[in-house]
Amino acid sequence: MPKVTYVEANGTRHDISVSDGENVMHGALYNGVDGIIGECGGGLACATCHCYVDEAWTGRVGGPSSQDETDMLDSTSAEVRPTSRLSCQIIVSADLDGLVIHLPETQF
Amino acid sequence: MAIDVRNPTPPNFVRLVGPDQVPPHVDKSLIRTAGLTYGPEFLAAPHTFMADMHRKFPPLFYDVSPFGNAWQAIKHEDALFILRHADIFSNEGATPFPRDPDDYFYFIPIEIDPPQHRKYRNIVDPLFSPQGVLKLEGMMRQLANELIDAFIEKGECDFTTEFGRPFPVTIFLRLMGLPVGMTDTFVEWAIALLHSNDRAIMAETLKTISVYLKEAIAEKKANPDDGVISLIAHSAPDGEPLCDKEIFGFVVFLFIGGLDTVFATLNNVWLWLARNPDRRAEMLADPDNINAQVEELLRVHSVTFSGRTVAKDHEMRGVQLKAGDKITCILPACNFDPDVFPNPTEVDFHRPKKIILAFTVGVHSCMGAHLARLETKVAIQEWMKRIPDFKVKDGAEIVYRPGGVVGPHHLPLEW
Repeated sequence: MPKVTYVEANGTRHDISVSDGENVMHGALYNGVDGIIGECGGGLACATCHCYVDEAWTGRVGGPSSQDETDMLDSTSAEVRPTSRLSCQIIVSADLDGLVIHLPETQF
Repeated sequence: MAIDVRNPTPPNFVRLVGPDQVPPHVDKSLIRTAGLTYGPEFLAAPHTFMADMHRKFPPLFYDVSPFGNAWQAIKHEDALFILRHADIFSNEGATPFPRDPDDYFYFIPIEIDPPQHRKYRNIVDPLFSPQGVLKLEGMMRQLANELIDAFIEKGECDFTTEFGRPFPVTIFLRLMGLPVGMTDTFVEWAIALLHSNDRAIMAETLKTISVYLKEAIAEKKANPDDGVISLIAHSAPDGEPLCDKEIFGFVVFLFIGGLDTVFATLNNVWLWLARNPDRRAEMLADPDNINAQVEELLRVHSVTFSGRTVAKDHEMRGVQLKAGDKITCILPACNFDPDVFPNPTEVDFHRPKKIILAFTVGVHSCMGAHLARLETKVAIQEWMKRIPDFKVKDGAEIVYRPGGVVGPHHLPLEW
């Protein structure tokens, strides 16, 4: 399974194996990584799975995948940066093996 | 307040009811009797009433009611705060259904605060994720058309009993693995529990439901199938099987939550569609915008409320909330907050996407939200394909059901 590294705002790193086809938000929720809430379950309705894609990975991950994601990024609690994504919209695949995701200080 | 989920005990919160039981810390100027869910003004036009609350009520006020006194929050931003701070606003004891103290159980996961609640959500979330519910779409479309086949030639129907109820309830019962033939009985139970506004009837009904579901769970334990009840009965998070109290509390909560809410939502949406032919035409002319249309219709037709118990003293908008106080977020009112949704009562299918509170927010946001969204979308699409022109039957009077899920009793339509 592809590996995803989640880096909490305080620097704590979690190396997690996430199934191919699963999203980065679920990868955190199902493995006890704090810092992602994902309250709506991946429906582009809550903006609580905000993350920053590590700069080394932004090319491969790409920007927001829909207008809805862009709109929802306006509702995040932490500052939005050029590398901001909603992690429920990033689908893990072999191409993203080793992906590094930084978590914001707050989701609310 | 960590609770032992496997050994449920009744909470010792005091229920305060009526004008003689207002705690002394409540500022007299903030006391109202709004009549939410039961008063004549509310029942005449509930969504208009809740939209108008932003002009007629303080943003946070103390409501005195025969069904329990509580703080009421109507601002979108306050609801987000309340619902997202489980350490201050607990779900323990926040669900109003009376239970037998000698055989107590928790409604799971709604009464379980984080982090314990995640264990339960992880069991069912994959099924109810946006991708999970898509597997049901083909079945939903077929069901919608079968229901329409049965009445389209008549040129009329009672929407509530011929479509609004059987459509979501059949989908839900199939998903749970419960007999669809029992639909009418189940709905009668749900209505007695949610709309009787009578605690004796509520307690009696909950007993009836409990007896039935305990048998259903035993049957699924013996004969597993691919339904949700069986999934819960056989689940073992971290290798530890759920105990009987956990299984029952989870199943009974889903049962109550699944029967009435989409039903009420569809009734509200169809009443609006029937009264707004120009807007139907606008929707039909812009089929690619269906997701935004559904979201906007859910915003203005939300059906329910979120109650919490204040777990520690907290000040909000200059108001002192004390541990033990009850507080309710009036979700439909929050969806009409003019600070977040300018011109809030106008249905605008091109609003910028904002967090809507139809399904509440926070860790207890509705697990069936994506199922409900898809059901609403499929129902609109299939109905409008076959019955694009329809109206409320001449002379029909629309009467709203009292209780915590807002929608009309009946909706007679003709075409």
